[in-house]
Amino acid sequence: MLDLKLEDIDGILVRYNVALEKEMTPDEAAEELYPKDELIYPVAKAIYEGEEDDVVDALQSAIAAGKKPIDLIDDALMVGMGVVTQLYDDGIIFLPNVMMSADAMLAGIDFCKSQTTEVPEPKGKVVCHVAEGDVHDIGKNIVAALLRANGYEVIDLGRDVPVDEVIAAVEKEKPMMLTGTALMTTTMYAFKEVNDKLLEKGVKIPFACGGGAVNQDFVSQYELGVYGEEAADAPKIADAIVAGTTDITALREEFHKH
Amino acid sequence: MVKKYTSMAYANADELIFGNSKFPVKAGLGLEIGAGYTSPEVNYAPRPGAGASKEKLIKEYERITTDIMARMVQIGAPSVVLETEHVQQMSNNPTWGGAVAHAQKTIMEEYHDEYGIKCALRHTIGDIREDRDYLQLRGDKYSTFMEAFEEAANNGADLLAVESMGGKEVFDYSILRNDTAGILFGIGVLGSMDMEMVWSDIADVAKKTGTVASGDTDCAQANTAMFIAGGLLDKNLAHTTAIVARAISAARSLCAYESGAVGPGKDCGYENSIIKSIAGVPITQEGKTSTCAHSDLMGNIVMQCCDLWSNESVEYHGEFGGTTVQCWSETLAYDCSMMNVALKTGKAKDLRDILVLSDKYRDPQGYVLAYDNAYKVGQAIAKDGENNYLRAKNAAIECCNIIEEGVNSGKLRLTRFETNALAKVKADLESLTDDADKFMSDNLTKFKQEVAVFKPENYGL
Repeated sequence: MLDLKLEDIDGILVRYNVALEKEMTPDEAAEELYPKDELIYPVAKAIYEGEEDDVVDALQSAIAAGKKPIDLIDDALMVGMGVVTQLYDDGIIFLPNVMMSADAMLAGIDFCKSQTTEVPEPKGKVVCHVAEGDVHDIGKNIVAALLRANGYEVIDLGRDVPVDEVIAAVEKEKPMMLTGTALMTTTMYAFKEVNDKLLEKGVKIPFACGGGAVNQDFVSQYELGVYGEEAADAPKIADAIVAGTTDITALREEFHKH
Repeated sequence: MVKKYTSMAYANADELIFGNSKFPVKAGLGLEIGAGYTSPEVNYAPRPGAGASKEKLIKEYERITTDIMARMVQIGAPSVVLETEHVQQMSNNPTWGGAVAHAQKTIMEEYHDEYGIKCALRHTIGDIREDRDYLQLRGDKYSTFMEAFEEAANNGADLLAVESMGGKEVFDYSILRNDTAGILFGIGVLGSMDMEMVWSDIADVAKKTGTVASGDTDCAQANTAMFIAGGLLDKNLAHTTAIVARAISAARSLCAYESGAVGPGKDCGYENSIIKSIAGVPITQEGKTSTCAHSDLMGNIVMQCCDLWSNESVEYHGEFGGTTVQCWSETLAYDCSMMNVALKTGKAKDLRDILVLSDKYRDPQGYVLAYDNAYKVGQAIAKDGENNYLRAKNAAIECCNIIEEGVNSGKLRLTRFETNALAKVKADLESLTDDADKFMSDNLTKFKQEVAVFKPENYGL
């Protein structure tokens, strides 16, 4: 078969990912970000490494040394997860690392809860669902994991969720934001119905939508819609809302890229 | 009856070429696929809201079909295949799918009768075998699922296809956690088991209705990996991991042809070059002409040995140049014209190699799927063709070896992250047992505990 000479390849294509790769390894970058407290450090490191057992061991040590379980959620687990999300946002680690860290963090939160009667305070509550008629839920699972990793309480309604069930959940849970994901053009139409029924009931919360065939033009057609191009946009939209940007137009201004 | 492939259909990789397959398939109205020429295969999705009623949906597909056939005639295209991927309403209500097939075929027959254009209609049934919470592969929906094939076939569909989802629950969990054994178990073991069941039954429907059991794609798994992996700068999954999933998927998608399918394989099965090398069946591929549906890093290379050339899917609406299906069918037809000229003028292998080289070093995914390397993955599968697990594992290991060779040549360059991910996957694979029963038993235990939605009874386990 024909082949290219090594020196000719760069004229055909550029591997920008190789050319621009960060000098620092992920482990080195993480090390720079860990908290220095000797009781918190092992928790954060175990979160970064996604080792659930090590997270629980480190929490036990911290509790034995006098730390309050409820405080460890914010002061250790969320701090460790903060390291992970920062490395992900900086393009130093990849999504599977975040997912494994999120699993480890949730195991840690469960452990802390089991050690106290106090109830942790989340940053906010988000209801997540996959559009009615659509069973493709990997995108929603990523969104839910990233939201939890960022300190949000997630009410996960699952996939193929009937419109009325979404409305009922929003009325009951009173979330700060609703998310909807869909893979297919035919199912994403349900988002518009959700939007209309929420408005009928006077509920005006941001409705962050994305996935597969969903695009900015479509989401812009209904009043509450905010388009998220990537799963990682979900916690960023939530953070913007927590920071005071609740107006849909303002959120679109910030997150609509096209 | 499942007959496993243990040898290669092609004596060497260089024989793999577009427009030609070892076993061409006659279908529809005068078409022969893989018999010395390529044809466009146009795929489309109705507009949001078109599925509100049966009548509305039929009307939408009538518009789409007429638009495509008219444009093909206007530009002088000699042949075309239309692929209707069922929206859920059509598969859940098989008479809807049948009615759409009938409406489309009626229009296609009119064009065939008037202009002699060769054409065929593929209906890809939606894999509806699931409920809200779980896959329900063998449950109540199975009979509706099969009925959907039969209704489509009885009402005008020429080619029957599906993008089946067996193993997806384990795969989805594993791919997001870099769990190599889980990826292999989901695609190579569970996926293969489900494929053998589904495709034996689809082949029976095809036989009964005089239609063609065409093929499957590991869209639900390997394409999920490819999409998560994304472009060069995306940080969601190592592309080296994504191509290992793809190599495994070839062992899985091959099961369709072992169970009675004859091709053409589905467009988004990027594993199809590997499958063609083993089974000699015609294949559909999609590349630069499917940017309307998604981006990938293999726009030209996958054209290398396609028999049908597809646009993956496009929502039906207006563009400056006509409706989307008109624009994309025209693009596909001109690409096919180029390939067909190359075939007639003895330049096909040169064109093939140019297409391959334009992408081969762009990304590890394209590197492994280049026909010379795809053939090697095929050989690794055929070597232990009788054993679904071993052959999938072989494919994965061969994929790792191929990438390493590419890196050693200096021509394929990986990021440190891709290199590390490759090393991890390879080490994971090499630590796995060769005993399929032990692998099954270990992973059943593991995933029953870890994946709440995994139900072994879906696989008769």
